[in-house]
Amino acid sequence: MELFTPDFGLIFWMFVAFLLLFLALRKWAWPVIIKSMEERANLIDKGVEYAQNAKEQLEGARKEAEKYIAEAQKQQAEILRDAAKIKTQIIDEARSTAAVEAQKVMDAAKLSIEQSRKEAELQFKNEVSKFSIEIAEKMMRRQMSSDKAQVELVNKLLDEIEKN
Amino acid sequence: MTIRTHITRMLLLVALLFGCVAPAVASADEHKDEGKLDVKEIIFEHLGDGYGWEVPFAHQYRIPLPVIVRANDGSWHCFSSARLTELVETENIETGKKEHHLVSVPVEISKGDNKYLFYLSTSEAHKSKVVQLLPVDDASSSIETADAKDKLPEFVTVEGNRYTEYKPFDISITKNVLALFISALVVTAMMMCVVRWYRKHGMMAPRKGNGFLELIVEFVYDGVIKNTLGKKAPKFAPYLLTAFFFILVMNLLGLIVIFPGGANLTGNIAITIVLAVMTFIVTNVKGSKHYWKEIFWPDVPIWLKCPLPIMQFIEIFGIFTKPAALCVRLFANMMGGHMIVITLILLIFIFGAFGVAAAGGVTVVSLIFTIFMLLLDVLVSFIQAYVFTMLSTIFIALSTEDGHAEHEHVEAPKALDLKTSESVGKTA
Repeated sequence: MELFTPDFGLIFWMFVAFLLLFLALRKWAWPVIIKSMEERANLIDKGVEYAQNAKEQLEGARKEAEKYIAEAQKQQAEILRDAAKIKTQIIDEARSTAAVEAQKVMDAAKLSIEQSRKEAELQFKNEVSKFSIEIAEKMMRRQMSSDKAQVELVNKLLDEIEKN
Repeated sequence: MTIRTHITRMLLLVALLFGCVAPAVASADEHKDEGKLDVKEIIFEHLGDGYGWEVPFAHQYRIPLPVIVRANDGSWHCFSSARLTELVETENIETGKKEHHLVSVPVEISKGDNKYLFYLSTSEAHKSKVVQLLPVDDASSSIETADAKDKLPEFVTVEGNRYTEYKPFDISITKNVLALFISALVVTAMMMCVVRWYRKHGMMAPRKGNGFLELIVEFVYDGVIKNTLGKKAPKFAPYLLTAFFFILVMNLLGLIVIFPGGANLTGNIAITIVLAVMTFIVTNVKGSKHYWKEIFWPDVPIWLKCPLPIMQFIEIFGIFTKPAALCVRLFANMMGGHMIVITLILLIFIFGAFGVAAAGGVTVVSLIFTIFMLLLDVLVSFIQAYVFTMLSTIFIALSTEDGHAEHEHVEAPKALDLKTSESVGKTA
């Protein structure tokens, strides 16, 4: 059984072939292959990590942007609301000031009307008194045209004074 | 349409397989003495080594290889294996067909005054090995008595002269040796392809063939070597990876029937012995103190190791059984695969004697089984290379273990106990 009895020549050449192959591959092949494989694995790991980070950052940036936009929208709404409020306020204010002004004008008008009325009244009073005095004078002249009537009046006046 | 193409393809495949089997047919023809097949002879011829390499599809022609031998007086001789055999044409009496046989012829080499005769032996003792023929003195042959007959070497008669056979120191480049070199070159070429890719393309991942090779390297390196050896992986990886790829390529080349392949390398015990011895050397040379302590003073009850070194005996036995198991596992698996395939093919010729119908039926069945077995052998080739590497890795890992890890494991609970007892004492 040739198969079970190892042949020396084959053992010898196997040793030689294996050692040569081993030395050659150890020198030129395995370190390069293993190093490259590991380097690439590291590179890929790093790449994945980087991508993940980038994704996270992007996500963060997007969220931030959304936050800013939301804030801006909120601010915009607020500003609009404020503006509306201010508008109504201004209108109200304007209305009230206008009312006040009008009131003032009215008051002034009233005052001047009052004054002119008073003046007119005064003038009228003066006129009336003047008229009445004239009327009285006229009437007196007529009544006092006789002496007797004059004496009587003097007497009467004297009586009044005496009574006092 | 598609069915027809399938069928034609199948037929083509069958025809191709027949082509691959042709050498077997030729050899079957050769051994067809008196219409009987010498199955064992054919199987062992195919599984064994040879001085020439069969030319594809022509059994009687051999690629000549150098024969390197050291004669009995210490001189080295190198000659072509083509000189060992001669092609003889004979005519078959029954069929009238011409048949070709390779017949051993003595090779005469003269160096100075000395003449050396080398011969491809046909005797039982040195079958199909190159032997040196030493002429027999008449004197020694004359004292051939019944008592001395067993002690004397066998005589062979070549061309009318009687010789004794002397087995020279033989380091010929045989078929297996050449196949070894081819395998080694294939492995080198494959790996250099991958290396060149890295040189050229830097960090880019290899494509196609290179990518596949890298995948296998990664499978073995990351999956087996790194997982088992950890930090020590880069130190032992070159040996283990070389062993893996060498075995794999030898296994796969062995499955190819024609020239660059076809040598039953890993199914030859010489090859697997060397591989196992390599692992043995690495394991024991790099063995740590802990490893040797485990062998000579293992942690077992004292009576198992002190008066009678029972454990030591078992452990030392174990040092040798591990590589022996490696050697035999690979050898038996690969040889078994080859043997089954050859036997299945031979079935066709065995049943050929029973008529056309039997032969036809057996042909189909045995071809289907052969294809199945060959495919299985491809798987086995990979698995055996993987198993060899994995077990070598485990043996190396076990032998290079420092034992620190274990000690830490043992000591850690103690420390914990101390602490807890202290705390308990304090609280008490």
